[in-house]
Amino acid sequence: MNGHPAHEEDFDLYALGSLEGEEKQAIESHVASCASCARKLAEARGRVALLAFAAPRSEPSPAVRERLLRQLRGGPETSASAPSHAKHEPAGRFFGGWWAAVLVPAAVALGLAAIFLWTQNRRLDREIAELRATLQDQQKQLDYARSVAHLFEAKDTITVSLAPMPGMPNGAVKVMYNEKMGMLMYDGWIEPPPEDKSYQLWVVPMEGSPISAGVFNPATSDSAHWMTKLPEGVAAKAFAITLEPAGGAPVPTGPKVLEGHTT
Amino acid sequence: MRATDEALIERIVARDERALAHLYDRYARMLTSMLNRILRDTQAAEEILQDVFYQLWCTAARFDASRGSLPGWLLVIGRNRAISRLRHHNPAAGEELSENTAVLPMTLETEISQQQLLGRVKATLESLPREQRAVIELAYFEGMTHSEIARSTGDPLGTVKTRLRSGMEALKRNLQP
Repeated sequence: MNGHPAHEEDFDLYALGSLEGEEKQAIESHVASCASCARKLAEARGRVALLAFAAPRSEPSPAVRERLLRQLRGGPETSASAPSHAKHEPAGRFFGGWWAAVLVPAAVALGLAAIFLWTQNRRLDREIAELRATLQDQQKQLDYARSVAHLFEAKDTITVSLAPMPGMPNGAVKVMYNEKMGMLMYDGWIEPPPEDKSYQLWVVPMEGSPISAGVFNPATSDSAHWMTKLPEGVAAKAFAITLEPAGGAPVPTGPKVLEGHTT
Repeated sequence: MRATDEALIERIVARDERALAHLYDRYARMLTSMLNRILRDTQAAEEILQDVFYQLWCTAARFDASRGSLPGWLLVIGRNRAISRLRHHNPAAGEELSENTAVLPMTLETEISQQQLLGRVKATLESLPREQRAVIELAYFEGMTHSEIARSTGDPLGTVKTRLRSGMEALKRNLQP
């Protein structure tokens, strides 16, 4: 092909991998020498990649992350299971006599076996404790993922962007809130507070006093997300983050740092 | 301030494992969903997931954020590998960062942006006629070519091409920033 493809969508079809034979080769040879079409192909790859979002959501096992990090450090990629092997020491001859030749090695072997079993037992106890902790973590992650999915799926969930107030620490936060479920999700970043202060997120209801939705102390300005359960049926007119004494306060006392309204 | 993908890539180049862990936390769920849908085999999907991030660790120095987006690249590489395994092909050739440059029409750096996109993609696909949606899914998730789709559905080759073109056109229209 010397000219550009007849249809713009041919880039999408190429990125999908559905083109064959001459059609496929024509695109490949053309984009090799046409920067504009190479850019269009990169955009088509991006569009096609978004079809991944049509897949049902699923979570990776936490073990993958652990294996990946071990792999980076050059360690084994799968969980190591290398039991220690008891090594029989040669029996000493200092007792002399035939009975010593039998009993001493037996006693040594028994002693070594006891030590071996004891260390094995300790190792197994440790592994069981670790597995129990991993299981609890996984259960927590699963519960969290389910809550997130419920929140996102609900048609009456609202998303509110909170903007920084003038002269206050910088940040960008979005809050997803479902009044009926009483669930709120925080997603965003904010500059760390002073050492003796904490941030506190508030739901400002249509009627009544603000309700605390969580106290947090980001150590860095990295993005974070968390979810919290609140009383059900509270219609919100706004969400605000205030700077409070370390540990938070029962009612807002400090200045607003970020704020966003539902309408 | 939130660490951008570009900043995290720079830290990976400097061998900062936490930066890779951060990107993993950001994009692993997105990739896992796609890999599980293609392979329908959790173990195989997780092997590929780990491989893709390990490849990122090894080749991050060659990533050029001005030419393409990181999540786009992760999705392209992950899909290539999954389709290769599904169809018992040799691992896809040409997995260099530059050869799989993908430009996304939006950022995916936050969970909320990913969830919003998920809603838009699903809504777009659901708005398509069933036959159009089916050919797109066969091409994307099963890695089928035009002819293979035509054989599988019994539809003429020209019809398959038209459905794919129309479907992708609708996706393009609905995902404009």
